[in-house]
Amino acid sequence: MKRAWLELFDWEFVTATNAALCQPKRALHKRTSDGHDRTRRLWEESYRREMFLDEAADLCRECHRFAPFCNFNGNTFAAIARSLVDTLKLKADEAHVIRTLLGHVVAGTASELETEELRAFSRSLKEEQLKKR
Amino acid sequence: MTQAQRKLLQSVVRDGLKIQNRFSAAPLYAVTGKGHLKSEGVGTLQKIKRSLKRRREAGVA
Repeated sequence: MKRAWLELFDWEFVTATNAALCQPKRALHKRTSDGHDRTRRLWEESYRREMFLDEAADLCRECHRFAPFCNFNGNTFAAIARSLVDTLKLKADEAHVIRTLLGHVVAGTASELETEELRAFSRSLKEEQLKKR
Repeated sequence: MTQAQRKLLQSVVRDGLKIQNRFSAAPLYAVTGKGHLKSEGVGTLQKIKRSLKRRREAGVA
């Protein structure tokens, strides 16, 4: 089923996540000159839309690839995507698997099998498996 | 940012920091078109397996 998975994650949230992840490593938190604006545009056009979970992961992967920030783009978008698991009613081991799949997809390292597994899971989700927000 | 978003941000950052050592800081995916993620390592996998085994045993008992 489709859901507005990312609706709470406005661009201010994404930016705050990146800033917080850069801080402990004293990495530069700064927007990139070539990637920031187009990523922000893509995100703002899409993040409120209802979509399948795998489509939300794919949006995060695409934004990771566009590199809106100087550092920790993958870490930022993977952490956001992984958190979507917390809105599902899943057993701990299943939640771990889905969280891992989401992380791999967003990092751009998922195998075809993993991508297909996440897609199949996403398309099989039912209303009753979602936690109320 | 709303109260709900602030709470969510804390949780997202907590998880992000847990997995941070697996990511490169530099935007490699943008430059090479290939994603990078360090392996979780045997220690983590063993921890997961142990945890699953414990849960299974607790379920049986």
